[in-house]
Amino acid sequence: MTPPAIPTGDIDLIRSELARAKPHITTMNLIVWIDRESNRDWVLQRAIKISEKHPSRTIILDASPGRVGAHVRPLDPNDPAQQSAFIDIGVAGIPSQEACEIATSLAIPDVLTVLCWSAETLDDSTAFRCFFSAGELPVAVVDSSLGVRDAATILELAKFYSEHPGVSLRDLAWMRLHMWQDIIAHFFDDPALRDELFSIRKLRIVAGSDAEALYLGGWLASRLGWSATARNEFADRNGQHIEFEHERGGQARRVYSVALTTATSVYQGSVDEGDASVVRVWVEGTNAREERLVPVKAIDTASLIERAALEDPGTDEIFERALRMVPTLMAD
Amino acid sequence: MTQTLSATNGVPGDVNPLRAGVASSRITDPCNVIFFGASGDLVKRMLMPAMYNLRLEDILPAKYGILGFSRCEWQTAEFRDGMRKSIDEFSRSGAAKDPLWSDFAKRLSFVNGSFDDAQAFKQLRLQLEKNDAELGTGGNRLYYLSTPPSLFGTIIDQLDEAGLGPRDNKSGWTRIIIEKPFGTDLASARALQAEVNKVFDEKAVYRIDHYLGKEPVQDIMALRFANVIFEPLWNRRYIESVQITATETVGVEERGGYYDNAGALRDMIQNHVMNLLALVAMEPPVSPTADNIRDEKFKVLSALRPMDRSRIMLDTARGQYGAGALGGKPVPGYREEPNVNPKSNTETYAAVKLLIDNWRWADVPFFLRSGKRMARKNSEIAIRFKGIPHRLFGEAGDSIDNNVLVMKIQPEEGVSLRFSAKVPGPKMHIRAVSMDFNYGTGFGVVSAPAYERLIGDAMRGDATLFTRWDAVQQAWEQVMPILETWQSTTDETFPNYAAGSQGPASSDRMLAADGAEWRKI
Repeated sequence: MTPPAIPTGDIDLIRSELARAKPHITTMNLIVWIDRESNRDWVLQRAIKISEKHPSRTIILDASPGRVGAHVRPLDPNDPAQQSAFIDIGVAGIPSQEACEIATSLAIPDVLTVLCWSAETLDDSTAFRCFFSAGELPVAVVDSSLGVRDAATILELAKFYSEHPGVSLRDLAWMRLHMWQDIIAHFFDDPALRDELFSIRKLRIVAGSDAEALYLGGWLASRLGWSATARNEFADRNGQHIEFEHERGGQARRVYSVALTTATSVYQGSVDEGDASVVRVWVEGTNAREERLVPVKAIDTASLIERAALEDPGTDEIFERALRMVPTLMAD
Repeated sequence: MTQTLSATNGVPGDVNPLRAGVASSRITDPCNVIFFGASGDLVKRMLMPAMYNLRLEDILPAKYGILGFSRCEWQTAEFRDGMRKSIDEFSRSGAAKDPLWSDFAKRLSFVNGSFDDAQAFKQLRLQLEKNDAELGTGGNRLYYLSTPPSLFGTIIDQLDEAGLGPRDNKSGWTRIIIEKPFGTDLASARALQAEVNKVFDEKAVYRIDHYLGKEPVQDIMALRFANVIFEPLWNRRYIESVQITATETVGVEERGGYYDNAGALRDMIQNHVMNLLALVAMEPPVSPTADNIRDEKFKVLSALRPMDRSRIMLDTARGQYGAGALGGKPVPGYREEPNVNPKSNTETYAAVKLLIDNWRWADVPFFLRSGKRMARKNSEIAIRFKGIPHRLFGEAGDSIDNNVLVMKIQPEEGVSLRFSAKVPGPKMHIRAVSMDFNYGTGFGVVSAPAYERLIGDAMRGDATLFTRWDAVQQAWEQVMPILETWQSTTDETFPNYAAGSQGPASSDRMLAADGAEWRKI
């Protein structure tokens, strides 16, 4: 059976509408992939938010079942908030390669292209890979814990990355960890405690989704020269075994608590039981420190995507190393 | 720097390996921030909410103390209560909540006393020493003078007498933030500087002008020095004139008593507007460090042609608003405002033409204006380029407008460029089109409000956005002839513009003499 195609007239109409738009500035092409009706509105709201702040050419590719046809909302000179051209194309049943080519052909050359992938899966059958097959490669923004609490998506991402090393990949699950990375780093900003980093024997993380826990463990390992040796196990540079315990708890996509056990002390942070907007941080044992309160900066998805888009395109070596450890940490 | 290597891991021992890629915006030095005039409006509305928001953003150092000092007969508990109410009412993040409020509040303390009371300053010293011991604030002190300028000298003397100046602080740094206005004229500014300088080295003095903490003001440097296309045109060969506008729709509100002794020239032109001029006209700094930028700002201010007294009537214009209407509602004239002299000669509008005598700007007029109760709130810098040297296109009726680059500061923030384009059709009609760029600011990566940014910078020791004495002095020297002339002569035409209008006709005439006209506000 011949797969459906987008009527050429629709795309021509889009081009003519775009050409009529007033002179404008474009900071990026924002290509958004949607694969199910149930999260279409949620994703669109975030795309609109981004395009209202950053004048963009926004191209929605919606593969939700039954979604076909295309329309464009060009710039409205009378609406100062509407700074972006918004193109919405239904690509249900359209061959992935064709959908990808349409988006690429509508993108403005010479500005950054950001691909926001809102589908849960990145496996071989999806269109995701088509965007990396040729031409200008976009910055890809994915979320390994958007719709899943287990490690299925992050494992697919690790596989994709091993096949496409060097692509600009941003995972919101990784980006959400900045506060926790800062909390952990802050323990050891004190030079008197620096050597403690090299006597960590156990790492315990409670998080609402596996991706965040795996990334946080992988981050620490990448910075301290540990290697992932088996399921839930690291070894330091001297081959010393480090136990990695992680369990699901608390809100999805959020870390709930972290504890690092060294030979002398336990370094801990945990979301306050009465107020989820605060993390309590303290040290027990030889290096005991007074409890400190850290405000939780709950960063919404649109802001994370914005950060991903504003980062310099290219690879993030620390993220890359952490991601590469995931398959070993999840090995059967 | 010599690095020690960890014996077992080969990792430099004085570097935290977890910090790579995990930059922290937290201020590293512990410190005490001391607000003089702690029961005043600025502390309540702006400064304490700013401190609390710095805490919510996790920017305050892990160890900090906040002390209030004022004549108000508060105890620490009352100070804490008062500050919580201020935060609840004025903080951009809404009401304070536990447990963070309690954690913040226990670092607040209050010393009550008169600003000339040596005993009160001894008390302050004891409290600071207590904070160093109990809160681990390490002897670092940031004083914030949020009092009338007439008290600055007294407070500084008392600090020195009490052993609270930098000379006596052997364990940490001592800095001082001074609110504008820095003096009321050149002589008083110099006298104040002499007082400050007796105790504080210039590097420890942070003269705050909250206007400079605004994002678009910083964008001026980005536009100029992060693009190659503008800088080659940024000179007398291509630029015809520069207009700097800072207008407001508000009147004097509760500040009638202060404003009637100040006026637009002192309140806006001498500081805010002169700073904008310096940023737009300065040479590229060698590096973005505080002193390199401030060196360039000073150089351009010192190249301003001194105002010739015989030309003051021609190169300046002053105005005072009369009754009028704003937003369809009638508003009173300046002389009818509370605490304003009914026969006041104070200007609520000032316009000045300045020339910069250097190779880049010779003969390019810089037109500066600022006014209250104008038609619209608008701050912008408009660079008007010269006309085309030879007209090639366009029908007889077509006007070919000069290119104009506008840096919009408030309320809109962005850049707009006007250029000429051909109207589609068989004939060569030319018309001006405008290309606008505004970043939205609704969410995500947004910059902190000016006071948060500036207090944080002072705690870090970054003086880039603060004004150095040499620039303050230079700006006063420039405006003094105007100020003296205006003070010694009564303008019989006052009030000479209606509230809600574009300003006085005399200002239009000033530009017309140069064949120019003001951009519509």
